[in-house]
Amino acid sequence: MTYAMFKYTLKRILILIPVLWGVVTITFIIMYVVPGDPVLVLAGERYDEKTLVEMRRDLGLDKPLHMQYLDYLGRVVRLDLGRSFVTRRPVAASIAERFPKTLVLAASAMVLAVVIGVSIGGLAVYNRFAWLGNSLMTLSLIGVSIPVFWLGLLLINIFSVRLSLLPPSGYGGGSLAHLLLPALTLSFASMATVARVTRSGFIDAAGEDFIRTARAKGMGEIVIIGKHAFRNALIPVITIVGTDFGSYLSGSVLTESIFGWPGLGRLIVQSIMKRDFPVIQGAVLFMAVVFVVVNLLVDLCYGIIDPRVRVGSGRK
Amino acid sequence: MLRLALQTEPSTLDPAYAVDYSSGMISSLIHSNLVRFDPEGKILGDLAEGWEVSEDGMKYTFRLTTARFSSGRNVNAEDVVYSFKRLLDPSTMSPRWWVLEPIRGAENFHGGGYWDETAVHARDDSTLVLYLNRPAAHLLSLLTMPSAGIVCREEIESSGADYGRSPCGCGAWKLVEWREGERLLLERNSFYTGAGPHIDGISIRIIPESMTRIAEYEVGNLDVLEIPRAELSRWKESGVPIIREQELRIVYIGLNNEKPPFNIAAVRRALNMAIDVDAIISRVIFSAGIEARGIIPPALRLEPIRGNGYGYDPQQARKLLADAGYPDGFRMEIWQRENPEGGRILESVQGYLYDIGVDAELVTREWSAFKMAVDRGTPDAFYLDWFADYPDAENFMAPLFHSANAGGGGNRARYANNRVDSLFDAAALTPDAEARWRMYEEAESLVYHDAPWIFLWFPTRYEAVSDRVEGYRIPAIFNAQRYLDVSL
Repeated sequence: MTYAMFKYTLKRILILIPVLWGVVTITFIIMYVVPGDPVLVLAGERYDEKTLVEMRRDLGLDKPLHMQYLDYLGRVVRLDLGRSFVTRRPVAASIAERFPKTLVLAASAMVLAVVIGVSIGGLAVYNRFAWLGNSLMTLSLIGVSIPVFWLGLLLINIFSVRLSLLPPSGYGGGSLAHLLLPALTLSFASMATVARVTRSGFIDAAGEDFIRTARAKGMGEIVIIGKHAFRNALIPVITIVGTDFGSYLSGSVLTESIFGWPGLGRLIVQSIMKRDFPVIQGAVLFMAVVFVVVNLLVDLCYGIIDPRVRVGSGRK
Repeated sequence: MLRLALQTEPSTLDPAYAVDYSSGMISSLIHSNLVRFDPEGKILGDLAEGWEVSEDGMKYTFRLTTARFSSGRNVNAEDVVYSFKRLLDPSTMSPRWWVLEPIRGAENFHGGGYWDETAVHARDDSTLVLYLNRPAAHLLSLLTMPSAGIVCREEIESSGADYGRSPCGCGAWKLVEWREGERLLLERNSFYTGAGPHIDGISIRIIPESMTRIAEYEVGNLDVLEIPRAELSRWKESGVPIIREQELRIVYIGLNNEKPPFNIAAVRRALNMAIDVDAIISRVIFSAGIEARGIIPPALRLEPIRGNGYGYDPQQARKLLADAGYPDGFRMEIWQRENPEGGRILESVQGYLYDIGVDAELVTREWSAFKMAVDRGTPDAFYLDWFADYPDAENFMAPLFHSANAGGGGNRARYANNRVDSLFDAAALTPDAEARWRMYEEAESLVYHDAPWIFLWFPTRYEAVSDRVEGYRIPAIFNAQRYLDVSL
């Protein structure tokens, strides 16, 4: 790593602090602005007012808002996410149990989106397979328009109920069979985008001088597309996948619900429904950290793939 | 291994904090109570093998059977004392402390007063004596509730807040694994001394989506499936054996009895007459319910509901509204929680109300916000249901219509009628079942006539059970299911 690169990385990391402070504060404000009362969820269908008052005091919800905010900030700084109001379980334990599952699902979906998307996009450029590529492009366009919910149920119906090939739902100890359908469902939306971007990337690259030079050198078509054009076509794909990855992580809620996947997205939605403040705060903050770190890594990745955007390279 | 699925994950398996369906259901599998309900809804001994009630109904003496916690330790009467005291202790902050409210001095202790050592005491290792404030005919029903489960003192003390995830009871089952958001695994409690269970374990998967649960059942991964109403006709046609049970539950639209014009009984009656409930049952909920022409569900009644209810009579409804001073009708809001089926039901209701000149606007809020508004009395009307806590007519009367329970106590319509209140109070003190029933019947007909709600229906539950399961039946109430008679 060059000195300029190091400085750039450090600067980016320091910027994270105000970003995360903003996330913490906005989450806090939203929670208190939205109607709903956590103790009503804890109390069930039949309760007395006195118990509610006691419970509010116990949870610290009776304190003035700014005190609650400062208490919370203090805990965040000490990396203490507290315990869930509802389950009384440490929030960090729930996140630790669920995040790896969301990560596996998101990463698999990303791999599927890239592998299938880039293949489709590449085939669509390569003349001999244009018919195949184009029909695949159309298919992927249909794919992106299908609501996740319907797609998930459709896949379950075809591959589990009718063909008995894959289990319909569940985590199944992380087996590949259980992972396949949810990952495919989650990947569908970006698969089509990746395919289109790859295709136009290839077409742009094909018009570049270095491709013509390669052809003039008498290089084989496969090497030209596979090596020279491929690297250039990949840059926009990385951008898309990088930004999408964050939304894979947080946006897998529907997929997780359909497939009974015990991930973090479902935890967040459940805790919002139950007004489980510590879990909402902890999980949202955690996701924000992941999101910004992923973005940082994506930015650093550009430099590795494309020397032109490498920080500080101009000085050499 | 019996394979089940739940829509929502339990919050906790600590009896003191188990307030939702999933938590109460599973906590009851793990913890024994003094008494329990069998699947038909009759009271049986659980930890108690027998009991006597004094003449005046103020003293209960329970003889305990020999039993052990899943840790292997013997259960004795002191454990019951500990569990009850813990539930009532203000520092426990259980929202369900009221389950033991009839016990002498309970309210005082919960309010910060002293603990009356004599009110709940162990005469010896196997005899427990309870003294009450006043006779409470439904005491045994209360003692079956998940919150009155017997817990193991040393486990509570060593686990603290984690007890809810590592419970230790003396019930038929013990928790061996809980993977968050995924599944719970119960194994037979090898120290359980009662009859059954005949299977080694129960796996309970958490599957939020009903269509996914159906797929899991269809591929043979689940043994029991609750069939969603929208799917009912397909299943009936397919010829798969389906079992059904009338739920101890009533679906209604509560009217805010304190807010004009709903403070006028004639207006409320008019709204009841405006709606063709039977038509909604057959067309919108696929006949999975019977019209509520009373309030107490059929299974809890000594006698069937008399009379034909309000019936569908829009002309009479318009006349009642005109007489009450609303010849041109009025505007109102009906609140509901997010729920597609509720939306379809309320759209029908909206149509019927429009026919009598009432312009009803539907307001949808998600559960927490909805509940807060309803408990505070904000909406004009709200679509809701009431599940039995225990199978007793009392549970459909006093909590829902006693003026002392207005708001979060259960009387969300804020209905108040002195005569009805005094009938409830008298019935609670009456041990004789027949005499008690007369009082509830009178109270029910008074409430029905006053129409604090738009009465809708008692729902029916449908389930499919796989061929390999024997002895399963839908329990009368959720915490009566212990899977003791089920075999594979």
